[in-house]
Amino acid sequence: MGTALDSESHSQEGSDVRMLTFGLQKSCQSRFGPRVGRIILAAPREECTTDIAIDGTSSVTLDTPNILVGTSRGVVPHLSRDHCNSADAIKWINVPFESFIEQSPPVPTLQTGPDPLHNFLGFDKRRHIVSLCLRDPMDTREMPPNGNAYVSALCVRGVRKVTPSDWRKYVYKLQPDVVFALSDTPFTAPPHSQKRVTKSIERSIAWLVDILRSLEYPVRPCSLPISGQPSQHPLNVFVNMAGGTSIPAREAFAHSLSEELYGPDLEAVKPIKRLDDGVVGYSFDLATLRGSIPKPLCLLRRTQVNNVLQQESPNMLQDAVKLIEIPTPENGDIHTPPPLPSRIAESAVLPDAASLLQASLKQLPDGKPRLVTGVRSPHEMLRLIRDVGVDIFDADLAIAAAHVGVALDFAFPLPPDLGPSEEGKKKDVGHNLYDQGYAHQYGRLSDCLAGAAESQSQFPTPLPICPCIACSPRSPTSHILHSKADVQSYEERDRSGKVVYNPPRSRGYLHHLLHTHEMSAHTMLVAHNLAVLDRFLFGVRDVLAGRRDGINKGEGEDGISRFTAEVNRFESVYDESMEVIHVARKCWHEVDLARGKGRLWREKEKQVLVEAEGVSGG
Amino acid sequence: MQFEVIATCNTTRARVCRMKLTHGVTMLPTFMPVATQAAIKGLTPEQVESLGITLILNNTYHLNLRPGIKILDEAGGAHNFQGWNRNLLTDSGGFQLVSLSKFTKITEEGALFSSPFTGEPTMLTPEESISIQHSIGADIIMQLDDVVSSLTVGPRVAEAMERSVRWLDRCIEQHERSGQRDRQNLFAIVQGGLDAELRDRCLQAMIARKDHVAGYAIGGLSGGEEKDVFWRIIKQCAEQLPADRPRYAMGVGFAEDLLVCVALGVDMADCVFPTRTARFGVALTFKGPLNLRLRKHAESIEPIDENCPCPTCSSRTSRAMLHHIVTIETAGAHAVTQHNLVFQAQVIGRARDAIMEGRFPDYLRTFFENYFGDHGYPEWCVDALRSVGVDLLEGRDLPLIPGSGAKWEYSDVA
Repeated sequence: MGTALDSESHSQEGSDVRMLTFGLQKSCQSRFGPRVGRIILAAPREECTTDIAIDGTSSVTLDTPNILVGTSRGVVPHLSRDHCNSADAIKWINVPFESFIEQSPPVPTLQTGPDPLHNFLGFDKRRHIVSLCLRDPMDTREMPPNGNAYVSALCVRGVRKVTPSDWRKYVYKLQPDVVFALSDTPFTAPPHSQKRVTKSIERSIAWLVDILRSLEYPVRPCSLPISGQPSQHPLNVFVNMAGGTSIPAREAFAHSLSEELYGPDLEAVKPIKRLDDGVVGYSFDLATLRGSIPKPLCLLRRTQVNNVLQQESPNMLQDAVKLIEIPTPENGDIHTPPPLPSRIAESAVLPDAASLLQASLKQLPDGKPRLVTGVRSPHEMLRLIRDVGVDIFDADLAIAAAHVGVALDFAFPLPPDLGPSEEGKKKDVGHNLYDQGYAHQYGRLSDCLAGAAESQSQFPTPLPICPCIACSPRSPTSHILHSKADVQSYEERDRSGKVVYNPPRSRGYLHHLLHTHEMSAHTMLVAHNLAVLDRFLFGVRDVLAGRRDGINKGEGEDGISRFTAEVNRFESVYDESMEVIHVARKCWHEVDLARGKGRLWREKEKQVLVEAEGVSGG
Repeated sequence: MQFEVIATCNTTRARVCRMKLTHGVTMLPTFMPVATQAAIKGLTPEQVESLGITLILNNTYHLNLRPGIKILDEAGGAHNFQGWNRNLLTDSGGFQLVSLSKFTKITEEGALFSSPFTGEPTMLTPEESISIQHSIGADIIMQLDDVVSSLTVGPRVAEAMERSVRWLDRCIEQHERSGQRDRQNLFAIVQGGLDAELRDRCLQAMIARKDHVAGYAIGGLSGGEEKDVFWRIIKQCAEQLPADRPRYAMGVGFAEDLLVCVALGVDMADCVFPTRTARFGVALTFKGPLNLRLRKHAESIEPIDENCPCPTCSSRTSRAMLHHIVTIETAGAHAVTQHNLVFQAQVIGRARDAIMEGRFPDYLRTFFENYFGDHGYPEWCVDALRSVGVDLLEGRDLPLIPGSGAKWEYSDVA
């Protein structure tokens, strides 16, 4: 493996490598209890002094628990750059790289200048933590198997092999703030044999060793301990905790991270002595732990996105796609660790997610962030915070809801007067805006969050504000002037730079946009749903920190017991099955198919039918 | 409406005007993007406004079907419904009745069509069109006209023209009865097909009603007719229409068409072209359109246009990144839509500056040189601009392209 790429990477040195540090609030230090922390991504100052100095100009702070927002082909779905960069909820952006490997070299690697990944994708270094992983963690479709020396990744032109050396090359070239080490996750139906699980652990460890390989010259001349365990590596590496659904396997993987290295591995990662020392955080992909049978591979999984455009665009890229099946040669050159105990084969019965995560974490230090992707409901988030102490969740559920026309509407802690409805039916976590019932509703998207215009009004609302582009649309403070005469179009008010909030977009308007296939609906819903999730975790942090109505009322213990009580309330009030999303998906599908002549006629007939049923039923 | 001509070109018939409507001032000439169903595709109203756009178009036919008049009334009009605080124009719905429905039958009473909801025969009268447009509440509303395809010949063309005049009278009456005159401005639509004599008769009749209309549109064009005929009709109409009323060329959106129309005296134009072509991955530039789906853009780290002030170019979105997402991610459509809207606004905004500064002929020459380069100029543009005193060629020996001559980036070979 290449000395060439090492020398390439050196050209990037000296640019301010930003270091990720994580601090936990003192009061929440039980191994798996809920916790409040802070991630800081900042460049240490050039000069080495004994004091810890942080370059404040391009540092990003993220209070945890919080979210990361996934991208599709390098963009947050449905958001233009200006919307992405103005959304308060978007602070950590995760980029699955695989869509870019359809070209060689991958196009982002052609970007020149500092911070190539941020700049290629248009993310703001002062606002965003940008992480890079190879595979989309939400994609659990069946894939050709990985080899000992490569991961099978999916792009629009088919399956491609990515070797650890490719991955290093991309990572050093692109300089993401955080990188996920390659990991061998089988995308075949579970349970997996002992042999397969063992292989997965061996490969994942080998690939972690590879990304942690030392450079010839240290990138950070003075690797200063900022808090607790220093990362002794120039990359901020997260490791995906392997072991599948087998608790012993997960323990074995964690053990490999914490044991002292010897032999060639030790030599490779010098000066790191244990792999865990080179790792800044632990990640878990729940989507692969659900025990569901992977769906057959058909390309372009996010058909929702495509269909919005497809109606007009007859020959899209997928016509050119041909799936290449790649056989897996078992001829790698990876060292062989001692065999694992035989009970390691995965059980057919799935242990709950919390105990799987705990098995991975219990031997490892507490002070590193725990990141989970593929969480399915706010309920599940709360439980993982409560039972495992998870710090970061991906926001796919918010984006998935927006795809199918659902505006999320839930809050934590619940408003005091909120309980289950009289018939004992739980509250929906959002509104299926396809539903005819919303056609005539002219109020804002969420009941539990207000628009900023309401706080500027004569009678300010007591509700928290949803700062999204739909609920708190801001009149532009500047306009592009296309001629010298254009100033005449803008009055003093337009030019004063004062922020003026417009009334919120209504449910009825979004209902209209959804039924007319207008893309703006999804744009506003993605922004809104991310803001709801952001606000939800803000509430979680508030409760855990013992704050009530913004005032610090108690210490951590009190915060945790209140949190536990609020989680129970949340679970008893909101419908965890999220029926509203399933219904919306059906509506989305129907509207998506409904095109062409006679559509309105057919819809009208159906609506009359539904209304008639409603009358007889009521 | 307050309408004021603030500068005129010494050579051509181009002019700069200030048009003050209920929702603010729009400087003319201007290009109006189309928000057919109450949204510029994929964007928010605030985004559109930040691009420096002050006047957009909604389609009456579509809004009448969905969300429908009841909802628009409840929401307090289309401005409130979509959150657009600037000026808005609605068409009459007549064009879509003809273009989207095979079964529409025009009678003296109105347009008879089969309802897309029930299939039952439904009548759209001039009175009803105006009253629907009152519910929508646009700052500029259009008369219902009897639209025939610009390729139609024979007595039907004269009939349609004459009926459009009679329907204008009914629209005027309905509008004046409504008490909306101080908030909404009715435009007449000049018809008469490609027949100069019919156009003259229509102009005469409609100009006679000048006190009751706020502006004039030139309709019945941009339907596949010869470009050579197109510009002659535009010129004929623009010449005769009163100077103290805005002139609106319907369905004009290619940059070269826009500039020729402006030189002939047109103040406003609309077209879905810049937004639709954006969704297919075509970015418009002063050096001609770029088809971002082509492989040749796959590795280009340059933005679409270094000097463009749009959010896409000013954030330096590379052609390679756009190639990666156009026609696949909606965000790709948004990025190119933002750019194309700004391009249109720049083409016509720079024309305003050039007219005010007395250098519009130079602007035209520079534009054509950059846009078409050595490929050759569309012959009709050269002829049209010669008719108003601008020689694009100025003695240079460039090929002239017959037909539409529109520039297009079709393939990697080009």
